[in-house]
Formats: sequence, C-alpha cells, structure tokens
Amino acid sequence: MILVEGLTKVFRRPRTFSGPFGALRTLVTRQHEETTAVDDVSFGIDEGEVIGYLGPNGAGKSTTIKILTGILTPTSGTVEVNGLVPWRDRSANARNVGVVFGQRSQLWWDLPLIESLRLVGSLYDVPAPRFETSLKKLRDLLGLDAFLDTPVRQLSLGQRMRGDLAAAVLYEPPLLYLDEPTVGLDVLAKEAVREFIVETNRLGRTTVVLTTHDLADVEALCKRIILIDHGRVLFDGAIDALVNQPRRLVVLLESEPEEVRGVPRDAEGRYVFEIHDDLPGMIASIAAEHAIRDMSIQEPDLESVIKGIYTR
Amino acid sequence: MAEVLRALRLYVMLQRASARGAMQYRMNTVIGILSGAIWQGTGFAFIWVVMHTFPSLAGWGLAEIAFLYGLRLTAHALAMIPLMSVNDIHWVVRNGEFDRFLLRPLNPLVQLMGNRMGIAQFGDLIVGVTLLAVAGRNAAVQWNVWLIAFCFIAIVGGALIEAAFFLALCSLSLRMVDTFALRVFVDDIFSKFGSYPMKIFGGAVEWLLTFVVPVAFVAYVPSSVVLGKLDGPWALVAPLLGVVLIVLAYLIWRRQLDHYQSVGH
Repeated sequence: MILVEGLTKVFRRPRTFSGPFGALRTLVTRQHEETTAVDDVSFGIDEGEVIGYLGPNGAGKSTTIKILTGILTPTSGTVEVNGLVPWRDRSANARNVGVVFGQRSQLWWDLPLIESLRLVGSLYDVPAPRFETSLKKLRDLLGLDAFLDTPVRQLSLGQRMRGDLAAAVLYEPPLLYLDEPTVGLDVLAKEAVREFIVETNRLGRTTVVLTTHDLADVEALCKRIILIDHGRVLFDGAIDALVNQPRRLVVLLESEPEEVRGVPRDAEGRYVFEIHDDLPGMIASIAAEHAIRDMSIQEPDLESVIKGIYTR
Repeated sequence: MAEVLRALRLYVMLQRASARGAMQYRMNTVIGILSGAIWQGTGFAFIWVVMHTFPSLAGWGLAEIAFLYGLRLTAHALAMIPLMSVNDIHWVVRNGEFDRFLLRPLNPLVQLMGNRMGIAQFGDLIVGVTLLAVAGRNAAVQWNVWLIAFCFIAIVGGALIEAAFFLALCSLSLRMVDTFALRVFVDDIFSKFGSYPMKIFGGAVEWLLTFVVPVAFVAYVPSSVVLGKLDGPWALVAPLLGVVLIVLAYLIWRRQLDHYQSVGH
C-alpha cells in the first residue's frame, strides 16, 4: 500500500539575524539555514494494517505525513502510495486517502456540519445514492445526529473531531492518515474515536497510519509501530515484541542493603525483581531474608519501553 | 475540458457555500458593498470637482474621463470579485489552511478562490457600470454593435491584466514571502494612474505605465479607441496582452506552488 525508500526532507530558510538592522539583514541575506526534518527513512505498509507512527515533538512525523499526502515535495527518496507518487499525482492521490489533523479542522467553520459533509461529497464526486448510504452509516457509527445541523464553530472538540473523521472517510478511501486524532479529547470521546478507527479498519480493510502522543491509542489500535526521532527510524516492528518482557516485582525494604541477589535498584532505591513463575514463593523467600516495607507488581508497559528507546 | 467544467461547477458550489456562511453576518455584507460604492464614488467626485475648474484634462472632457474611470473600475471589479480571497493567501499559508487545499482533488487555486467572494468589489462594480452607462450616453460616440462588443472584450482584457499582476504577486506568498505591501502599492498604481488619461503624467511615467506595469492597456488605450482618440489596431493589443499575462501569472503560480513548504514540521 505504502512504500517509502530513502526519504529525506531538508528545509531551507533564510538565516534570521538579531540585533540592530537584524530585520534588514534577514531580508537581504543569501545565507540559509538548513534543517533535516526527515533523514533517510524507509518503510513499507501493507493493505489493512493499522500503524502507529510515533516520535517526540519535532521528530519528523508530520513532515513524513505531509509528504505521504502530497502536501510537501521531498528533497530525495522515493514514495509510492497505492501505486502513485503523492506530490506528482496530487489529485489522484487525494481520492485514495482520507486525512484528519487533530490540531486543525478541515470543515467549513461557518456552515452546519451536514453542509460541510455535502461539500466534501461533491469535491470527491461521490454520487448521491452512495453519499446517502455512507452518511447513514456514519451517523450511526459516530452519533452525528445530535449536531448535524450545528455550525462547525459551535461544536465541542469531541463533536468536531467526529465530524472531521466523517468527512475523511465519506468517500471511502482505502487509506487513512490520522495525525493526533485524540489530542485534547476527554476519555469518552477518545474511546469513541478509537472504536471508530477499529470499525473502519475492520469493515473496509482500510489501512490506517496513526500518529499520536497517547500510547493508549497505540495499544488499543496498532499491532505494529514505527518509532522515529531526529528524522530517523529507531524501531519498526510488532508491539508484542517490544513489550514481551517479564512482569517485575518492585520491593522497598526497611533496611537498604548494598545488594540483594544482584538485582538492580530503581531511582527510589527499590529493588526490582523479574517475575518468572512462582510469585508467592519469590515473595516468601525475600520476606524470609529482609523486612519488607512495601511492594508492587509492574506490568511491562509501552511507555517505559519507548522512553527507553528515545533516551538510548 | 471536462476537468475545466468540473472545476467551474465546484467553484460555484464553494462560492455559494461561502456566501451562505457570510450571510450569517448580513450587516457586514451590506456595509461592505456600500463602503465599496462610497469609496469609489468619492474618487470620482474628486475628478468632478477638478473638472469644474478645468473643463478638460489633456484634451479629455468630463464625460470622457468618466468613461475611462468607469471602464477601469468595472475591469477592476471583475478581476477582484473572484480573486479577493487570494488576497488572504499569506494568512492561509501561515495558519496551515493551505495544506487542506492540497489534500483535495481540485486545483488549489480554485479552492482558494472559492473561500470567499470580494464583497466591497460589488460596490465598485455598481459604480463602474453606472459611470460607463451615463458617460457612454453623454460622450460624443457613435455607438454600434461592434463598439459595444469591443467594450466587453476590453473590460475582460483589462480585468485579466490586473488579475495577472495580482496573482503573480500573491503566489510569492507560497514561499513565505509576504508581498502584501507590494500588492497594495501595485493596486494603488492601477487605481491612481489607470483612471486618468496617461498624457497628463507625461514622459517617463507614461512610458513606465505602458511598458513596465502596463496600466495604460487596462482602460486608457481601450477608452481612447472607443472615444476615437486612437486608431483601431490598438484595440486588440489590450485584450491580447491580458491573455498573455494571465497565462504567465498562472505559470508563476504553479512554479511557486512546487516550492511550498507548509508550516511546522
């Protein structure tokens, strides 16, 4: 579905000067500053996959999405999306993809939601009967009825996001880019968005590329993630492999001996044991040797694993 | 061709949608049209006052100058009514809205044009057409079908010339070069110099306004032909120039679009 090879994007901007006459020097300078936002990125995504495309702020996620959607032209590298080069076949590519930017609505601010949806339908040449079927389905799936006739500017963030999602899938694109679709939403609204993504992926075998900072989204939706930072791919693979580690028993002792069975200690001075099979036996044997003040069990979690990769 | 018709149909659809949105601010619309009409009306009132003192400017009488003024204003209105929202381009680029135009299967320029309509320019249009009608009856012109047809072609040609300059300057904003001040300046040249007989400026300025910024061809040359002050062949230069310039401007737009860098990373 998506094939990316050696993708690089360098932004070139005139150098800005400060100090006296800074503005004037900025205006006439021939010096440029270059920033490499995406640096030799390669990956492939198959039809029907839900991919988490993750990275800290400024990692190059949005730039990649903008190249994949045809907004930006890369500096070098090749991209093929559903057989098309996005920035060269912009219009044709647009018909294949739905895009939601969580930070920015794509709906018409002053018009009722239903009118925005009708405009989108016309822009993508959706025939009237197909539009009605699609709309009917989305009204049920996203619960749009309550605010279909409300101007978009008066919608709550959660409602607006549901409207944006509806607009993005109305013409049934085989590919969906979701750039932080749950940003700023409350727990229930997040849940609704996640359910919708699962349904869309299941019903239409829609491929989904998801960027988010909420790892709960990733755990609920993605089997595979691609991690990038400073424009480079740090990890590409199944989440299972990433978090497939033993649970851990974290113990705080009354006295703090130098060393207990050679296990590492965490930042708060607690001893961290890996749990393999016999947990009660393990606790009993520790309790027999030391006075335990407190203890807890840690499930392996995506957040700490990812944090580990970023700081590596 | 089918693609052009589709773009036209969708453009009309977008404009109607924007009009429905704007109608929620009804007072704003009314005030916009009125202010456009009053602004241009006072511009002409000034000429009227001057003409009371000097009955002719460079050999042009009041009716003739009114005709020239009306022709320029009508061409200006026709250029700016569809292009007014392109004037917002630096905002649209800066707040990232332009990205959305590149995500949809329709020429981004058509989508930008469909964002909103020039409201005040309807005021310009009303004043311009009124001046043309009144002045056309009062000036010493033998009207026939050909001359009227030429007027229409000349207005479209003039509109294309102004639109071409406007579009080319706006397209630089795709590269984050803010040309707003320059656009205001060029608009000023078109309105301040384009509405009077070029002869009154004389020499270098007349040459500049003919060959560098061809304001002369928007209204001065066509009006001179209609009023019998210039020979026939000149009549064709203005509309032809309009077509050539708008094609050039569109090529510049396309070229700048390739350099679009979006905002954020």
